[in-house]
Amino acid sequence: MKRFRTVAATFAAVALVLSACSDDSESSPDAEFTTISDGKLTVCTDSPYEPFEWQDDDGNWTGFDIDLLTAVADEMGGLTLEVIDQPFEGIWLAPAAKKCDIVGSAMTITEERQEAALFSDPYFNADQSLLVSADQAETLVDAASLAGKTIAVQSNTTGETYANENFTDSTIKSFADATALFLALESGQVDAALQDLPVNADRAMKNTDLAISATFTTGEQYGFAVAKDNTALIEAVNAGLAAAKSSGDYAEIYKKYFGVDPE
Amino acid sequence: MSLSKRQRANLLRYFVYAATLIALALLIFIVDWSKLSNAMFKWRIIKEQFPDILTKAARNTLIFTFFGFIGGLGLGLILALMRLSKVRPYRWFAATYIEVLRGIPLLVTLLILGFGVPIATGWTWPNMYVQGAAPLALVAAAYIAETIRAGIEAVPRGQMEAARSLGMSYSRAMITVIIPQAFRIILPPLTNEFVLLIKDTSLISVLGVTEGTRDLAQFGRDGVGKFANATPLVVAGLVYLILTLPLTQLVAYMERKAKRVRR
Repeated sequence: MKRFRTVAATFAAVALVLSACSDDSESSPDAEFTTISDGKLTVCTDSPYEPFEWQDDDGNWTGFDIDLLTAVADEMGGLTLEVIDQPFEGIWLAPAAKKCDIVGSAMTITEERQEAALFSDPYFNADQSLLVSADQAETLVDAASLAGKTIAVQSNTTGETYANENFTDSTIKSFADATALFLALESGQVDAALQDLPVNADRAMKNTDLAISATFTTGEQYGFAVAKDNTALIEAVNAGLAAAKSSGDYAEIYKKYFGVDPE
Repeated sequence: MSLSKRQRANLLRYFVYAATLIALALLIFIVDWSKLSNAMFKWRIIKEQFPDILTKAARNTLIFTFFGFIGGLGLGLILALMRLSKVRPYRWFAATYIEVLRGIPLLVTLLILGFGVPIATGWTWPNMYVQGAAPLALVAAAYIAETIRAGIEAVPRGQMEAARSLGMSYSRAMITVIIPQAFRIILPPLTNEFVLLIKDTSLISVLGVTEGTRDLAQFGRDGVGKFANATPLVVAGLVYLILTLPLTQLVAYMERKAKRVRR
């Protein structure tokens, strides 16, 4: 009998806690989503990928994605951002594996990826571009001038797909990360790097031996991604994104990293 | 009730058996097998890995390993003899080389040699195989040198003394008497080195890969990106196992044979 009472008491306690929880969520409409750790929005990103995500000299996370997600998380009921560094290959599967809540890694929205993850509204238009050594900026400008030469791309990116489709007469060399990709270009192991425009532009700004020789409009757009079934979270993210845009935070962050106003 | 020593030992053994069984049962319970096989053992994807994973990826891994090991063995033998030399600068050089190359992570050595050397000298690597296998051989040499040195030192002193008293020169005695015996002693650690080298080749892809030079690990990673599923990586892991198992069995056989001869 005594034992039964303990069980009943436990049930009552659990019910109390549950009802407390549900009361909470009813009071604020945005709080229906849950995150893997309370009060935090955990983001998976493949760092370093400047100017979107990297750690500064003091180890603080910085970059366009990081700043924008910080603003979005703040709009989502004052969440703070927690960053997990993760290789880009298959990164869009990380939220489903409960490794993080969301992926923010300069990731292009593709149909293929949409089959495996749920994407936010696009937050950035990304064009492809060719980065070459500055003295060849006039000559290496298209597929014809790069025939027989080697082009560096990053593995599993849309740049790699674009290169394979449009630069069929060139050797395509894939690199797992951007650090090695640019080193290969600077050391002359490859003739050009085909990469998202902002990333190449950032590199050309920092290293004047390199220059952008061509840009290609692809209609590519970046999005954040969450687990396929997590509609509550993506709605909250989209609302946060819209709020950041209307408040001017988005424009400010854009200007900070790309030096121009958003389109 | 007091137990004899033997009874106590038996009791402990049964306890360990029981604990193992319980752990296994728990594992079977806890693991979501259908989810696991869906994420990591998709038959449809496994089939698509063949035959390229063997004819291209495994082939490249073996090429890198083979040249890395042959180079490492040759250079390692020279370094070991230098370390044991009476000439002090030889000893200093060998000791410094071994400490530096053993202390720096292979990944960093790959980047420094693969990109740093072209930047410093303007000379570019002729192809991926040389660019990847050369740093691998240089690092392997540092480890192998220490193994060989230990082997040479383990050959009884009397062997050298006897050879010299028969009128052999130091180098002749070293080559025909000491080194062959040393190699018999170091066969197991040398196998270890070879197996480690097979797996170390997975780092070479940091230097960039073209369609034809992808190694096993990169092949698996690209598959993960392509299929949005971890199966290709698991298959790649199994192929590594298939590569190492016959090798370790062969060495075990050679060891048995060597023991028989000795008797």
